[in-house]
Amino acid sequence: MKKLAMMAVLLILSGCNLRVLDPKSQTASDQAFLIYLSFGIMMFVVLVVTILFIGFIWKYRETEKNRYDIPKHEEGNRTLEIIWTVLPIILLIGLAIPTVMITYDVSDIGATSDDTLHVNVVAEQYQWTFGYENGKETHKNLVLPVDQEVVLHLTSKDVIHSFWVPKLGGKIDVLPGEENQMKITPNEEGTYQGKCAEYCGTLHTDMRFETEVVDQEEFQQWLEE
Amino acid sequence: MQFYLFGELIVLPTDVIAAWVSVIIGAPLALYWFTKKRYWPVVWDFATSTNHRKIGMLYIIFALLFFFRAGIDALFIRLQLVTAENEFWVFQGDKYNEVFTTHGTMMIFFVAMPLLIGLMNVAVPLQIGANDLAFPFLNAIGFYLFLTGGMIFFAAFFFNAAPNAGWTAYAPLSTYEFTSGPNNNYYIFGLQVSGLGTIFAAINMIVTILRLRAPGLKLTRMPLFPWASLITSFLILVAFPVLAIALLLLQFDRFYGATFFLGEMGHPVYWQHLFWIFGHPEVYILALPAFGIFSDIISSFSRKNVFGYTSMVIALALIGLLGFMVWAHHMFTVGLGPFANTFFAITTMMIAVPTGIKVFNWLFTMRRGVIRLQTPMLFALGFIPTFVMGGVTGVMLASAAADMQYHDTYFVVAHFHYVIIGSTVLGAFAGLYYWYPKMTGKVLDDKLGKWHFWLFLIGFHLTFFPQHLAGLNGMPRRVYDYTWEDGVFVYNFISTIGAFLMGASMLFVLWNIYKTHRTKEENVGPDPWDGRTLEWSVPSPVPEHPFEKMPVIDRRDALWWAKQEERSLPIEDHPRTSPIAVRTVQPLVLSAALTILSFGFIYGWVWMQILGGAASLGFFLLRAFNDERTEAYRKEEQDDE
Repeated sequence: MKKLAMMAVLLILSGCNLRVLDPKSQTASDQAFLIYLSFGIMMFVVLVVTILFIGFIWKYRETEKNRYDIPKHEEGNRTLEIIWTVLPIILLIGLAIPTVMITYDVSDIGATSDDTLHVNVVAEQYQWTFGYENGKETHKNLVLPVDQEVVLHLTSKDVIHSFWVPKLGGKIDVLPGEENQMKITPNEEGTYQGKCAEYCGTLHTDMRFETEVVDQEEFQQWLEE
Repeated sequence: MQFYLFGELIVLPTDVIAAWVSVIIGAPLALYWFTKKRYWPVVWDFATSTNHRKIGMLYIIFALLFFFRAGIDALFIRLQLVTAENEFWVFQGDKYNEVFTTHGTMMIFFVAMPLLIGLMNVAVPLQIGANDLAFPFLNAIGFYLFLTGGMIFFAAFFFNAAPNAGWTAYAPLSTYEFTSGPNNNYYIFGLQVSGLGTIFAAINMIVTILRLRAPGLKLTRMPLFPWASLITSFLILVAFPVLAIALLLLQFDRFYGATFFLGEMGHPVYWQHLFWIFGHPEVYILALPAFGIFSDIISSFSRKNVFGYTSMVIALALIGLLGFMVWAHHMFTVGLGPFANTFFAITTMMIAVPTGIKVFNWLFTMRRGVIRLQTPMLFALGFIPTFVMGGVTGVMLASAAADMQYHDTYFVVAHFHYVIIGSTVLGAFAGLYYWYPKMTGKVLDDKLGKWHFWLFLIGFHLTFFPQHLAGLNGMPRRVYDYTWEDGVFVYNFISTIGAFLMGASMLFVLWNIYKTHRTKEENVGPDPWDGRTLEWSVPSPVPEHPFEKMPVIDRRDALWWAKQEERSLPIEDHPRTSPIAVRTVQPLVLSAALTILSFGFIYGWVWMQILGGAASLGFFLLRAFNDERTEAYRKEEQDDE
């Protein structure tokens, strides 16, 4: 089990090919940073607990020698208790500040310029429809130009869905009768998986799409097709 | 299989047929066995009793039954996900959705809750020196409501109508427009009926703990399990009515076309708010009693008092309080805006502080003690690292922007299994081994217990650790399939192996119980573990009204100090009168009436609704004018004169 845990830790630290930790946009990079940061802080906590845990069990386990000992009564220890109240608070503040900052950053959805590309995303059981400003519509693939700001306008025709392209950023729920927005700027060309992340019925599993990030020229060409 | 019955086409999938076949074969065998062994008087004794130990045991027995059922569902899930592009039996599409919905709902409401309430029933009165719960009749009613709700929910599958909107039943998917069958009606009535029982249990527990403590047992001298039970009961009292309201609104949406969660006036997010205002405290309702159990066990098996008692109690209360202020952290992706998201992120992180205090206090309880590694203690020790891992992923999830990546993925699945299995399930097992002598007079076999522990713990980590990684690699929860390109095969494969290890470990529980009761050994004495709290001063199994000689408590762990000083606890000359036990079939009758009522609503048969409704109402009227304790009161009054 320990070996497995070690392997897993190495896997995460290397960031290798886990999609969430392989960001292709600023939003996803910020989120990956938060994940690494919180993971680091939390590993420190786990380490401290593990050391105390193993140490105490090893040192104070029942043996032939202490079998009939009656340990001394001890109510508590104020200093120690203050330490393990204050220290976590400090650690948490260290996590809370970047959390607040990044949460505000990724929630900023307004278009910053006239060049911003707007895409209407309509979800229904069990497919996506991506509508571009010139009227072009696709279902299976969302094509985006690289290094350009995109604002997605998401709404649902029936139940709640959730739009998720792990490499481009966290998810945003797609609600019926209401528009949610999401701003992303993909910064690398490639094809990325997209999924519906909110359970939406029988074929929820199959409600997938691909996001193709291509260069400007290719995008314009594709748009005119 | 398809056939016509009364001119209607009935379609039965093979898993439902298999279930019916096993019931048709199994039920007569069970009946024969009960008759041959002459168990019916015992069954009748338990079914009509209002004694806290017997009702507690009933809670636990049925919770274990549901545990096996929902566990088999989990194995079906794991078999369907064992490899990419897999088709196991019938578990794709809606069938898969039904299985995970049943697994989740049943594990939370009909396994975790009743296991804990059962243990509270058995142990809390004994730990505080009460002869029974304050309202024994209400206790029986509470149990039967849980059983009725559980059975209604259990039955859904046999009529090929298992709920399929997830245990969270998010609107509008759970409304009539999108899931029109009877399926989610089962969900509503199963939870509504059992939820009422839970509220009754909580009221009972609060009154018992506040009113029936032994003389001298101030709140500040109370062991931590009753403390945890008290705080949990207050959480139930606030949270469960919210669930009841949410279910009622959903029922109106489904049956009568009200539009609370849909349409112009309604909003689907209202459901999420209501559900999580209940749902998050529910997590602590599951965790806090387990914390209490672990505190008692770690202290007993380290032969030391609890380290930092006061901060332990304050931490319990703080966790309970903060638990009501964090519900929207389940909704970071809904689009509530950055202010709400960061607010709930910070309140959520704050919970880590009292939880951390508890963890360190447990560790320091063991320091300088003598740690006996018997089965209950092993479960308590297994809990600490497991729960800490679940706790730290909890803090990671609290980071709102990062949660937008984790949300609704297997990372979350891994997290909540780490916290709920880590605390509640390990806690219930620990409590079961620990208090088994109090329930039955026997100690469960230690060696088999250790087999159970190690297989379960290793299986658990194998199952759920890889799911963190599957989630980070983009695997959403509640999907029945993935592709090879998704790169999550290895994680899922390991997961499935682990799940079967956990399943195998449960066979050791059955074997252990069988082995323990096969030999006709003498019952153990009152104190098999060298315990510290009051329950170890009364015989095992506990007789009715064990504290006829009411002890006087002069300090925390009074029994322990009395044992050290080789004296017995002083006895109160004029003890408070005990709750009055009665023998009654009324809860059974109410149970039947509510079953009729529920099935009437589930299938929309108005005549049955009227029949069940009239019967239930009639029952309440009957109760209002009848009190079988009157006779006992009269006798007491005469004795006083």
